Amino acid sequence: MRALLDASLESINEVLLGKKYQVRLALACLIAGGHLLIEDLPGMGKTTLSQTLARVLGLSFQRIQFTSDLLPSDILGTSVFDKDSGHFEFHQGPIFAELVLADEINRATPKSQSALLEAMEEGQVTIEGATRPLPSPFFVIATQNPSHHSGTFALPESQLDRFLMRLSLGYPAHAAEKALLMGEARRELLPRLPAVFDHAQLQAVQAEVRAVRVTDALVDYVLRLVEATRNQPQFAWGLSPRGSLALVAAARAWALLAGRTYVIPEDVQAVLPAVASHRLRERADTAGQGGAALVQWLLHEVPVL
Amino acid sequence: MNVPRAGLTWLLIGQALLLVPLWWQLPPWLLLFWLVCSAWRIQVYRMRARVPGRGLRTAMVVLAAVAVFFSSGRSFGLETAAALVVAAFLLKLLELNTRRDAWVLLLLGLFCQVVAYLFDASLPWALYSVLPLAALLAAMVGLQGGQGERLGPPLRRAAGLLLQAVPLALLLFVCFPRIAPLWSLPLNSGQARTGLADVVAPGDIATLAQSPELAFRVSFDGPPPARRQLYWRAFTLERFDGRRWQQGGLSRFQAVQPWQPVGEPWRYRVIQEPTDKPWLFALDVARSTAPDVQQTQDYRLQRRRPVDQPLYYSVESWPQVVRDPQLAPALRQQNLQLPATGDPRMRAWASDMARRYPESEALVAAMLQRYHEQDYHYSLRPATLGSDSIDGFFFDTRRGFCAHFAGAMTFALRAAGIPARMVVGYQGGELNPAGNYFTVRQYDAHAWVEYWRQGQGWRSVDPTFAVAPQRIDQGLAEALGADEPFLQGSPFSMLRYRDLAWLNTLRLGWENLNYGWERWVLGYQQAQQSELLLRWFKGWAIWVLPTAGTLTVLLLGLAVLRPWRRQVDRVLRQFLRFERLLGWHGLTRAPGEGPHAFAERAAQQLPGSAQAIHTFAQAYTRQRYAGEAAAPATLAVQLNDVRRSLAGRTGPQRKPLP
Amino acid sequence: MRAALVARLQRWQDRRAPAAAEVQLDHSRVYIVPSRAGIAYAATLLLILLAAINYQNSMAYGLVFTLGSLFIVAILHTYRNLSGLRVGSDAPQAVFAGEQARFIVHLQSQGKAHYAIAVGWGVHTAHTTDVLPAQAQRLELALPTSARGWLAAPRLRLSTGFPLGLLRAWSWLRSGQRVLVYPCPLAGELPTQHASASTAELAGLQALGQGTEDFLGLKPYQPGDAWHRLNWKAWSRGGPLLVKQFGEARGQDLALDYLALEGGREQRLSLLCHWVLRLAEQQRPFAFSLPGLHLPADCGVAHREACLRALALFEGHR
Repeated sequence: MRALLDASLESINEVLLGKKYQVRLALACLIAGGHLLIEDLPGMGKTTLSQTLARVLGLSFQRIQFTSDLLPSDILGTSVFDKDSGHFEFHQGPIFAELVLADEINRATPKSQSALLEAMEEGQVTIEGATRPLPSPFFVIATQNPSHHSGTFALPESQLDRFLMRLSLGYPAHAAEKALLMGEARRELLPRLPAVFDHAQLQAVQAEVRAVRVTDALVDYVLRLVEATRNQPQFAWGLSPRGSLALVAAARAWALLAGRTYVIPEDVQAVLPAVASHRLRERADTAGQGGAALVQWLLHEVPVL
Repeated sequence: MNVPRAGLTWLLIGQALLLVPLWWQLPPWLLLFWLVCSAWRIQVYRMRARVPGRGLRTAMVVLAAVAVFFSSGRSFGLETAAALVVAAFLLKLLELNTRRDAWVLLLLGLFCQVVAYLFDASLPWALYSVLPLAALLAAMVGLQGGQGERLGPPLRRAAGLLLQAVPLALLLFVCFPRIAPLWSLPLNSGQARTGLADVVAPGDIATLAQSPELAFRVSFDGPPPARRQLYWRAFTLERFDGRRWQQGGLSRFQAVQPWQPVGEPWRYRVIQEPTDKPWLFALDVARSTAPDVQQTQDYRLQRRRPVDQPLYYSVESWPQVVRDPQLAPALRQQNLQLPATGDPRMRAWASDMARRYPESEALVAAMLQRYHEQDYHYSLRPATLGSDSIDGFFFDTRRGFCAHFAGAMTFALRAAGIPARMVVGYQGGELNPAGNYFTVRQYDAHAWVEYWRQGQGWRSVDPTFAVAPQRIDQGLAEALGADEPFLQGSPFSMLRYRDLAWLNTLRLGWENLNYGWERWVLGYQQAQQSELLLRWFKGWAIWVLPTAGTLTVLLLGLAVLRPWRRQVDRVLRQFLRFERLLGWHGLTRAPGEGPHAFAERAAQQLPGSAQAIHTFAQAYTRQRYAGEAAAPATLAVQLNDVRRSLAGRTGPQRKPLP
Repeated sequence: MRAALVARLQRWQDRRAPAAAEVQLDHSRVYIVPSRAGIAYAATLLLILLAAINYQNSMAYGLVFTLGSLFIVAILHTYRNLSGLRVGSDAPQAVFAGEQARFIVHLQSQGKAHYAIAVGWGVHTAHTTDVLPAQAQRLELALPTSARGWLAAPRLRLSTGFPLGLLRAWSWLRSGQRVLVYPCPLAGELPTQHASASTAELAGLQALGQGTEDFLGLKPYQPGDAWHRLNWKAWSRGGPLLVKQFGEARGQDLALDYLALEGGREQRLSLLCHWVLRLAEQQRPFAFSLPGLHLPADCGVAHREACLRALALFEGHR
């Protein structure tokens, strides 16, 4: 199992150069069974990352480009009258895939956004009165532009909370960009990429993540972190219980990726920025810049022992 | 630094409470003084008055000192000292500006409490003294500020602290070595005490019989003797001046003739109320091991110092001992002494009797028979007697109290040539059914006669028994006639209402409590302490205080600090040691730095120890985070490896290399 | 002798308790001794004991034992009142020399109440406060500043005599915090000097800085931008917060140059400080140079801060 995880990391890193930390986080997010939000400027490799993940994990992939005129039915699917059979026939929307890339989610209206987010939460969709299960596993990777770009509808806090992690890929490092420019187009590598996992193996990995050990001492640290967000004055609000559960789940996946069967505080610290920064906001910050600075404060000041 | 309101208020309350038991002992003008000072202080606090200036304060100090001097009657006793302490306590109130002043006042208050205990340490006042003490402690808490300005929290906290201090205080009380007074201090309270006096006129004891005050309490080891055997000797009266009886000079100071115990003794313990006189009370023939007590010529027990506080002592009495089988000539002469003239009828009657009954025993029997058969009355209101008081009583009025009967009999025996003397003390006592002890009160005061016979020594005889046997068998209340109500002068004494059963039970219960208090608390001094400790702990007595004291403090510490609340597990403690060790080498861990990351950094900076550091850190992480069994010992060994590998480095390096 | 002893003691304390931004007081940091009142109390107890012995008075014995036990109980309670307290501190804001630097100290209880905690630099108490459970106390401690540069927070002393005042428990803390002290601004004439010729020409062509005449366009709002230039209309329609930019063609930007000034080092720095503040207030761009440092002409908060910081920390040119 470890070999599979290492191999998949290696494959993804081949495609996405110089982003080892983010790639590892993204993989941790998926094997922890969470949805991923990537926030970046256009052209940073968000789509590439999603496609690579889909391929490596052996998942069927669909991409939905969110635009301001996107309707919920464009995501979920619709019934069409079939003249031949004389019945309405349901045409599945793009959401019926194992890995859905919701591109530029903040360009769509809140109505369309919530259609997707409901599907994420429930694992099923209700269309025209009929409940239809989504495939299993089901992952959503949503991308969004930084919220202060014009013409966007920022996701409200309640919806942000549904993403296990938020990542930002950022500009590639000098050497990586050079390699990118010199080498062949990354997208073309994709079709040649072999799937590392099949469904059964993916399920096994997910089960293994849940079995990673979390001791009392570690839970105490997590609680100290969470309580700090709730008590310290600079936090506009604290982490929700869902947030603390997400933190532990992500730390488990991270520990497994590091080849451990138990979580150490460093695992928590590694995933904390990705898990917590979109759930926190500084009191003084009215522009909604997010809680990156707060997370740094947590990492430095909350005692580990 | 101002005095916080809560502190000031509690201080004033504490002062008022403290002074309550002292008002009975101190000159009344001090009360006025207190009212003035308190009112002034309160007005200062409300900003309605100014703090008195230095001149005024000095004037008040001088005034108070002069007043104390004059009201003490120019003798410096305990009362004078107490009045001075209290005056200082009151005056300091006017100079209460800073916390330091408040502290002076508080400590003076503690002193006043001691003074109050010296005056009266009986159970009710002792219980009462918890109140001023708690108020003073609340004032201490209030002085610290905090908890707002409310009055409740300081008192609650003070009470809590007081409760927590109780176990250790009890332990110290029982085990702290009691020692004899370092130097002798007269405790001249100057109070008039009710009790037996050195000189007895016939009517004195009758006056005493009106008083229900407590004289002493006795508890016997084993079954107590019969009531008619309870003749508590105080002292003897041997000199008669025709009117009053006085103590003989010899019997007061000379030591007793050595005697040997014979037969079975009675063993008992006495708690005696203060009398301001040196004698103790005991049954014949007594011996006491109490320090500082000796037996004088007339077989009384006497102390060097007057009994000025409740005194606890144990006594053994051998009733069968023969006293003075041979009488020294001087003593004989003293016990045959009569005034040169007076009472001619008695003298004539006595010589007549002596002729008729040459045997002294027969003579005594004949006299008792006369008392018994003829018309003699036992009465608290004897008729007034003229100049020949013995004649007047014996032949004319024939109404009298024990001292009359005894006095007349002693006179007659002496006139008949038989050495005789009057003994004064108490007779009987009330047995408390619950506590198995006797309470002897002033109205149990009694006088009887001793005469000497060759070979048989001194023999006791009680003429009162011949007149009114109920007095001896049942007590004074039963012996008095219907026209003479018991305890006429004390209408509120519960003793008057002994017929009400429930009231009597209540009274006996209360007396029982007081007895326990006097015996176990007030009487707990050197002798009783060593006896008790020896009985409980045998030879281990000296270890009790250190051991139990340490244990108590330890338990208290656990209860107060509750270290288990913030327990550091032993695995973590090893890591903290590791951290401290690396701290010596310039590596400090930020609070947010994980153990693994810290070890990584340390290994990079101290490449020589990298191996050992990794080993330790991994073992620690596994034990703490992987659920491995905690093995702090292993960690300690690995930590030692780290220490050893670091030992080679030249000196501690305070700062990380640039 | 005494000073050496004190210094040694402090070094020992520092070793036991290293500097940290947040600490929890425990036995390695809390010291406790009888206060002066406590010593007087002990002396009084001794006197009472003497009275008890000499008068053989059991109640006086009882009193002295009770009060003695209280002393022991008070040791525990006084220690308990201070231990367990969490003390944190925030980095203070930079101030100008001569002003009071304001250090923020947080006191937080770990579940029990702490009463009458005195906080101050050294032995001087600045605040006395209660810290109740689940309630953080924020105290502001002023520290006078005199010279520019970094000023490290002195040792912080937390002490308490609660509950009985018989003992004093205290703890020394080094927060490790420091405050940046800018030079004291000194008003004075600035020898007018312009940025070097080449930049001046270039600047003349560029519309730089925030003039008032020509509308140049919009840019995203950044903290520090003037409020009156906000594009409120667009914002009220739900658009992003934008700032209108105006340009003023300027031929010449002011340059603040240390070397162009006269006088002693501190005097020059103070003068520069004054002008940095003045120009920043007027929103006029200026270049700034110190020996070994040159900041090109700019305006805005960041520029101002960079200049002031450089002034505060300038070490060269004796």
